[in-house]
Amino acid sequence: MSNVSKSPWVIHYDGSSCNGCDIEVLAALSPLYDAERFGVVNTGNPKHADIFLVTGSVNAQNIDVVREIYNQMVEPKVVVACGICACSGGIFHDCYNVIGGVDKAIPVDVYAPGCAIRPETIIDAVVEGIGVLEQKRAALEAQRKGA
Amino acid sequence: MELIVSLIMVPCVAALLMLVVRGDKARDVLCIAFAAAIAVLSIAFAVQYTGAGVLYFDLPMQYSHFLAVVNIIIDVTVGMYVVCYSIRYRRLLPLVLAIGQILTTLWFEYNIQREVQFESQMRVDSLGVVMVLIIGIIGTGICVYALGYMKDFQTHHADQKDRRPWFFAIMFAFLSAMYNIVLSDNMCWMYTAWEVTTLCSFLLIGFTKTEEAINNAFRQIVMNMLGGLAFQMAILWLGLHGQSRLFSVFIETAANGAADPGVASLFALPVALLAFAGMTKAAQMPFHTWLLGAMVAPTPTSALLHSSTMVKAGCFLLIKLAPAFLVYPVAATMTVLVGGITFCIASFMAISQTNAKRVLAYSTIANLGLIVACAGVGTPEAVWAAIFLVIFHAVAKSLLFLCVGTAEHHIGSRDIEDMDGLFERMPRLARFMMLGIMAMFVAPFGMLVSKWATLASFASSGEVLLIVLLAFGSAATFMFWGKWLGKLAGIAAHEDNVEHTVHKSEWFAIVLMAVLTASCCICMPMLSAAFVQPFLASTYGMVSAAISADNMMIMSVIATAVVVVLFGTLGVVKSKRKKVVPVYLAGATVDSDARLFKGSMGGSVKATSRNWYMNDIFGEKVLDKPTTVVCAIVMVAGLVLSVLCSQAGLFCNAPSLLMYLPVASMGGGILQTLFGIIAFAIFGPVVGCLLAGVDRKLSARMQGRVGPPLLQPYYDVRKLIEKDDVSVNTVEGTYVTFALVLTVVGGGVFFAGGNFLLCVFLITLAALFFIVAAYSARSPYAEVGADRETLQVMAYEPAVLFVAVCMFLALGTFDVAGVTQVGVPMVAVCLPAFIALMFILTIKLRKSPFDLSYSHHAHQELVKGVTTEMSGRTLAKVEVMHWCETALFLGWVAMFFVWDNPASIVVALAVAAFAFFLEIFIDNNFARVKWQKCLKWAWAVALVCGLVNIAGLVIAMVA
Repeated sequence: MSNVSKSPWVIHYDGSSCNGCDIEVLAALSPLYDAERFGVVNTGNPKHADIFLVTGSVNAQNIDVVREIYNQMVEPKVVVACGICACSGGIFHDCYNVIGGVDKAIPVDVYAPGCAIRPETIIDAVVEGIGVLEQKRAALEAQRKGA
Repeated sequence: MELIVSLIMVPCVAALLMLVVRGDKARDVLCIAFAAAIAVLSIAFAVQYTGAGVLYFDLPMQYSHFLAVVNIIIDVTVGMYVVCYSIRYRRLLPLVLAIGQILTTLWFEYNIQREVQFESQMRVDSLGVVMVLIIGIIGTGICVYALGYMKDFQTHHADQKDRRPWFFAIMFAFLSAMYNIVLSDNMCWMYTAWEVTTLCSFLLIGFTKTEEAINNAFRQIVMNMLGGLAFQMAILWLGLHGQSRLFSVFIETAANGAADPGVASLFALPVALLAFAGMTKAAQMPFHTWLLGAMVAPTPTSALLHSSTMVKAGCFLLIKLAPAFLVYPVAATMTVLVGGITFCIASFMAISQTNAKRVLAYSTIANLGLIVACAGVGTPEAVWAAIFLVIFHAVAKSLLFLCVGTAEHHIGSRDIEDMDGLFERMPRLARFMMLGIMAMFVAPFGMLVSKWATLASFASSGEVLLIVLLAFGSAATFMFWGKWLGKLAGIAAHEDNVEHTVHKSEWFAIVLMAVLTASCCICMPMLSAAFVQPFLASTYGMVSAAISADNMMIMSVIATAVVVVLFGTLGVVKSKRKKVVPVYLAGATVDSDARLFKGSMGGSVKATSRNWYMNDIFGEKVLDKPTTVVCAIVMVAGLVLSVLCSQAGLFCNAPSLLMYLPVASMGGGILQTLFGIIAFAIFGPVVGCLLAGVDRKLSARMQGRVGPPLLQPYYDVRKLIEKDDVSVNTVEGTYVTFALVLTVVGGGVFFAGGNFLLCVFLITLAALFFIVAAYSARSPYAEVGADRETLQVMAYEPAVLFVAVCMFLALGTFDVAGVTQVGVPMVAVCLPAFIALMFILTIKLRKSPFDLSYSHHAHQELVKGVTTEMSGRTLAKVEVMHWCETALFLGWVAMFFVWDNPASIVVALAVAAFAFFLEIFIDNNFARVKWQKCLKWAWAVALVCGLVNIAGLVIAMVA
């Protein structure tokens, strides 16, 4: 395990969630689950974050914002779609303004379903994300050495 | 002798020729030729007389009468000039003053002076050499600068008559008068030159002939003629009592007053009168308004008045009087109080100004206040500091004025807010301006080093009130310069470069001043040995410096490094390795360079930010009137008491100084410091990292959690280093690296037992570079963070300085090694200072409730304030810097509990550990407060604790 997996800093963005998943995301970061045990810190700043937690679906209003936050995150980075709306649009998938899941805007690495998503699932998804992060880091390092 | 005569006469000739020459080209050639000639003469003069000791020059007797007549003619002409202007513009007060002066001169000349041979003596000492160099290089540099500036000025004011010949003539006449002041030993000549400078600045201020200019010019002349009158009264008094009117004899006799009460009562009044005259010229409150009013004049005028001439004449007189102040408590107290109060309050008021020239003016007034206060204290250390303040202020301030003048002509404004993004629009000029600003307020540059010497000298003479004024004034200085620097440092890509139209002559002068500023700082040890110490030796018979040569060397090295950091990035537009990314605008960016974002109501909105001006706390409306009244009362009381002294012999035997405790040096030299720096570079981050881990673990436990592993901060930093290398601009990373290096050096100096003040100033410089890095991003979030960080520095600075002073009073040295030389821990006598340090520790460690600029907790600072735009390696460096800071600040705490017993180290470590635990506890139990409360509480605690502790120690020492 490299240092990237020991210190996954997350940023949370609420797309068009009903707030159910958002509350669960914050619950997962609360002392009860104590995500900091694994080095998880909620940064609130894309430039500091490694893992992007998105809740809710992507719509015409927020698609640019989701993309920009993603773009401002520094490589290596991982996207976790939290909750069924973020995964596929969920029950809102056929709303007139909903474009779909987060993967319509940015590449998603981990899909974590649930309505609302459970804190345990979030932690599980983040741990899964750490594995992806590790791969991406190795790829970046190889690219650096090659260059 | 020929050199002296030519120094005075060449500018006169230049002035006359300037009046005659009308063509632009001819004027350029002539002006540059004369400026070069004067500069060369000044340097030749310096070469010849440096190290020559004190020299007197007598003119042949047959010229004596002729010169006396010339003197009177000039005197009366100056007076008549003022009379004419007063009648033309119908001003009563200057008319009365001018007529009074003329009558006094004539009466004096025909009743007293005629029986005495006019001894046309010149006197040269090291201070004179320094002044000649300042006038000869900086003054003429400004004249050259004026060539280009006045061309633009004439284009901007095409409706006005071209009166440039007149302008240049006065500029050169000014230089001549200044040479006369600094070289004459005859007080009558000095007085005449004194009045000529007053008249010249009157004409320069009123140059544009607008109503405002005329009003300000008259304000200037009224105030300075009051001073002139005081000067005249002093001469008159000496004449009436049959004393010599040679300045050197006057000072020598006056300084003997301690032994002889008769002399003391005779000289008390003239010393006070001359001090008063010096303070009017040096624009001390309540006479500061003339200098503010002088800002209406074209910028070269302001540069000339502020840096090398006019105000420096006042400083020169006061520094010469310094030995006399040691003997005359009334005059000394008056000078010290007015200077100290002026420094503090003018610094406060500078915070509230948006006009760059007014900020410069207030800063000039403040620095002059400091010089005046130093002169008033009168000890060799204080005079050492005063002379360096004069030198560094002259170079740095002229650099700043010239930069502001050029910027004004190219961006069309002298408002600091409009200098936003100047770093891209005028890259070279902005860097020169940044150098000038840094030279004014941070170590390793001269002004701060001189301020350090000032603090040391105030501490060694037990001037409690002055220390308090200096501490708070310095803190305000950091605020108003820091925020201006931030405006300049902001980098916005794609701004047009408007620099190529700057005149060559302007560049020449600016580069000259910049080179002088940097080289004076780098060569400070040499300057001290060549000029300042000989003056002290000849005046006091002893050589003394408030700062040891080792520390000056360290400063020199760092000064070089700062110059490299500032100008090394000049050519770097795009680095190949680094990817430049847009700033964070909450994911709603429309145009990153223009800082446009999508507003919640649709459409694009521009993110703007303004500096903090805090008008309700530091505004002119709040502070100006009360301070003016207080200073006026002090001056009047001083003069009245001096009259009483001379009449009734009051206070004749009271000493001016409460105490005198020379500064001992206990540092182990450069090698030990170097060793300390290396050791701290290795162990500081390790200890700091573990402390940060303990912090997170303990915080987690306090919240009922398990928390991360102890080494979590280490993992975080390793991860950040592994991240991709991106940055919002090419300089941010450089600034942060430099801040980290400075923190390590500061820590090394401390743990090697070096000078505590040096350590404090290095940490402050590190904080400044951290702040500038944040400002350079030009991100709205980072800017708010940087503003708050600046405020935090201002909040904690006084307490830190008080800790240093208390340490000195307890140990007799500023060196940390001193704690191991005493039998009791420092805390035994410095408990209030310890409490103040503990209070500001929360601010320094950025812990809640004072985590305004940055916080490790997401619930307090969502986008991480000052570090918003920093990522990857840059952020890693910031983290390491915080580790080093934590280790260092706990070292400051521990220092209070070390004494000569080696076992005390254990006690000190235990106390530091407890202090750290306390900080974590406070962090977890208090909510963030507003910045107003942070400032108010920090200053209140510092004031009460500092005052009680310092006063207590001084009283104990005197008793």
